[in-house]
Amino acid sequence: MEATAKSHFTGKEEHAPAKPSFAFWRPTAKTGLMSWLTTVDHKKIGFLYGSFALFFFLVGGCEALLIRLQLIVPNNTLLTAPQYNTMFTMHGTTMIFLAVMPLGAAFFNFIMPLQIGARDVAFPRLNAFSLWTFVAGAIILNVGWFLPDGPPDASWVGYAPLTSKLYNPTHATDFWILGLQLLGVASIAAALNFIVTIINLRAPGMTMMRLPVFTWMTLITSFLIILSFPAITIALVEVMFDRQFGTNFFEVSNGGMPILWQHLFWIFGHPEVYILILPAMGIVSEILPTFARKPLFGYPIVVFSGASIGFLGFTVWSHHMFTTGMGTVATAAFSLATMTIAVPTGVKIFNWIGTLWGGHLKMRTPMMFALGFIWMFMIGGFSGVMHSAAPADAQQQDSYFVVAHFHYVLIGGSIFALLGGIHYWFPLMFGRRVSEFWGKLSFWVIFVGFNVTFFPMHFLGLNGMPRRTFTYDGNMGWNVGNMIATIGALILGTGIAIYFAVVIYTYLKGEKAGRDTWDARTLEWSVPTNPPPEYNFAVIPTVHARDAFWYEKHHQAEIAQEKAAHHQAEAAHGGIHMPFQSIYPLVASIGALIGAFGAIYHNLIVALIGGTFLFIGVYLWSLEGAEGYHLHPDEEGHDADPAAKH
Amino acid sequence: MRLTSLLTTLARRGRILLALGGLALLTGCNLDFWTMKGHQSTIAVDGPVAKSQLGVFLVTCWVTLVIFIIVGSVLAYATYKFRARSEADEQAVPPEQGHGNPLIELGLIGASVLALVIIAVPTLKSITYTADVPAEEKANAYEVNAYGYQWWFKFEYPAEQITGAGQLVSANELVIPAGRPVHINLRGMDVIHSFWVPKLAGKVDMIPNRGNFLWLKADAPGYFWGQCAEYCGDSHAVMRFRVIALGPKDFNNWLNAQTAPAREAAKVAATDQPKAQFAAYRTDWKRNEQGWSPQFELNPFESWKAHQEPDAKHEDAALIAKGRALFQSKTCFSCHVIRGHMVGGSGAYPDLTHVGARTTIAAGLLENTPEQLARWISHPDVVKPGNKMYVNGYLANNIKLTPDDVSALVAYLSSLK
Repeated sequence: MEATAKSHFTGKEEHAPAKPSFAFWRPTAKTGLMSWLTTVDHKKIGFLYGSFALFFFLVGGCEALLIRLQLIVPNNTLLTAPQYNTMFTMHGTTMIFLAVMPLGAAFFNFIMPLQIGARDVAFPRLNAFSLWTFVAGAIILNVGWFLPDGPPDASWVGYAPLTSKLYNPTHATDFWILGLQLLGVASIAAALNFIVTIINLRAPGMTMMRLPVFTWMTLITSFLIILSFPAITIALVEVMFDRQFGTNFFEVSNGGMPILWQHLFWIFGHPEVYILILPAMGIVSEILPTFARKPLFGYPIVVFSGASIGFLGFTVWSHHMFTTGMGTVATAAFSLATMTIAVPTGVKIFNWIGTLWGGHLKMRTPMMFALGFIWMFMIGGFSGVMHSAAPADAQQQDSYFVVAHFHYVLIGGSIFALLGGIHYWFPLMFGRRVSEFWGKLSFWVIFVGFNVTFFPMHFLGLNGMPRRTFTYDGNMGWNVGNMIATIGALILGTGIAIYFAVVIYTYLKGEKAGRDTWDARTLEWSVPTNPPPEYNFAVIPTVHARDAFWYEKHHQAEIAQEKAAHHQAEAAHGGIHMPFQSIYPLVASIGALIGAFGAIYHNLIVALIGGTFLFIGVYLWSLEGAEGYHLHPDEEGHDADPAAKH
Repeated sequence: MRLTSLLTTLARRGRILLALGGLALLTGCNLDFWTMKGHQSTIAVDGPVAKSQLGVFLVTCWVTLVIFIIVGSVLAYATYKFRARSEADEQAVPPEQGHGNPLIELGLIGASVLALVIIAVPTLKSITYTADVPAEEKANAYEVNAYGYQWWFKFEYPAEQITGAGQLVSANELVIPAGRPVHINLRGMDVIHSFWVPKLAGKVDMIPNRGNFLWLKADAPGYFWGQCAEYCGDSHAVMRFRVIALGPKDFNNWLNAQTAPAREAAKVAATDQPKAQFAAYRTDWKRNEQGWSPQFELNPFESWKAHQEPDAKHEDAALIAKGRALFQSKTCFSCHVIRGHMVGGSGAYPDLTHVGARTTIAAGLLENTPEQLARWISHPDVVKPGNKMYVNGYLANNIKLTPDDVSALVAYLSSLK
């Protein structure tokens, strides 16, 4: 244990290059634009992920409001048919790939290394590359708003052959294909980074079964990403080849099979659903024990059920295809497999209730969001069970019932947990906490608005209203439901606006929060200052129990002794090693962005320029080396010798 | 602080009442929302396939509702019982740091599995039943082919062969025998569409290069609404159709009428000259404006029957003849078949041989009245964004229709009962 507590970089500085050449110049700015563009600090990268995600969350929200306004009355003419189709395509794609996923990644980045007692992720520069490639993908996906071809409009599932050149001749679909392709690269790189980090950089004593549940969910989600994204990567390459080089994967007139797209897409798409919800479950599993002031009920079963959900997530993709005529055997098999997922999901809900049972529940804003999550996720889960029964699904598929279902799990589920997570970790990230009054107000407005919007959609769907329709007639019995839903959407929008106003106000002027403001249980709260210093832990903690920080707080003398010893050992090895910043991840990502434009416009020169940038970025990045500098804070995190840098 | 506590109390006590009250107010005047008995209801259904699917849905609904009530009550109780009630409460010594109870957890897992078995059994039964026409009814089954195009439906009746013209073909209104199982072969002809008549059966997709099918049965004669349920491009929302189920005699009469060539206009006595209705067409249609009349809604099935009868008394033979000539000179005939009147047309476009006998035009979107027909052929691009008749017909062939042309075409098409 002693050995693993030591710095991984001890003695490295002896081999540092004498004088770096121009190509290997390392940026050192700690403030200003350059510091953000070249940062390798997991906290800064997490913050950037979060900021971009919240921006796109607002963009996707505005698209949603336009959708709802178009449907407020029958036969409305606010949007034209192509505009409406663009809105729901971009709303879905934006919310999934540019809002919920990166918001999850923001927490993975910021919180996970702190939870396992690490000073950064395993590959800090790869982390920066993931971030900037994500930004490049987001740009490609949205660039159509500013170009004559317009943004993508083939829905977020992009079913072939609607995405073929014949039915979608403009570049709109190419933006979608290349945008998702870049986002996939970013996600896979990030996921590998998190897996290596969790497996290798855990503090001494942090065994796998002592990992905080959020870290567990990060690990499972990362595995889901690296296993599922290759499927959509292949599918996107195939549709790109069909469009650009005249191949026939989905080209019906030459024997292509459109159904192939659906299989490939949903082999990715269903695990993707769990990629969106498992981090949320992890966050809730952190918030509940903290505010109930007792450990998570049945930790091993919660972890195991998370893993089971991840595993079973790969066995149920065809329940999105119950109406494609798969035959009775396949339909029955996927129906039953889908039902089994309800078991580990139910287990999580039981265990969360078990966590509350016998606790001292402190009803703070994060707790409100976590409780709201459980209620809403239950409703979404139950309508999910209804879909798993294939005959019932034959009526519900592609109706508003499905729209209601997945918004209950994605807003009532993922978004509630993520918004709660922001409140929960806000004091840690920024040293300030949100006012309880305004926090709770925003929660209730969001909660009411959400339910008023989406509950009526169950009724609309059962009454036969299909989704992705820009208009409906007034004689179908859908008028009232749509009117209520739109009013609800406006309430929900108001709630989100309050939420953002409160968060921004708190960031600038909020009440200062002390260290460990919630009396929390996990290691991220043991950092010396809020926000955490760039090196996170003055002394790498040694973990003795599952709720490591709770244990520390209740065994202070023992821990203090231990820390002093470890501090001495670390100081003897030259202090805390910090990696240098680097410009090359950004260069590589810009290369990917340019290359994507080359692919979209089928322009070899542009593609080659992009490829060159990408190659140069990666090449110089691998040659510049993993050198860094050392810091020497004292045990409490006070900088003992600010000038002592190598 | 006082405001805070007031708000939280209000929120706690009043939120459910407020929400329910608001919903009741909004819906009080209109029960449709709660009863879900619309034209495309999956709850008020009229055939054994839809009933079987509804049965499964109700099982899942009740099982999950019971679980929701039990789990929800426990959750609500726990939240209420164990919440900290004061500052002092919050600062109190933390509760016992228990880590769980394996017996409770395993018990709950067992209970969940049992609940799923209750759902799984009827699900499996229904999957088998809804898959294809039951063996004992196979001999009685009627077969049709349905094809999805952007953005309309084509129906073929392989059992009804017409000498020299192949099988009977129709568009957007599928007429079936009531009380008999109908086996429908489904195929997408461009992109993926989905065939959905909620009151008769759940949807099955119409996929290019894939031979899908479904079966359904209408318990009694009736008029049913259907709609494409897979996003298929610009006008997906307005790709609709109807299914009309007829008793044996009516069905035979209908088949006889349909297999006959297109109708010739009546020679009308001078005393029965046409109503001067065509001059009064509305031209100020807004985009997406509804295309059906309240009278039609009162009894759609009767309305359908009325559409089968030619209005011979009021036909303007000269105008109809002009319309027929225009149908050729404006190149309409190069796509649309009017069997017996002109040679031309292709199977990839709606057959208009008996278009006057349909209750709707533009794929179930507009009621088949002269006024709506005029609206449709005057501005197909506005009625149905992106539609092929406009892009490949009007634009490609530079077709312009004067109001007189429209009147004549409407008169001609309306006469094709």
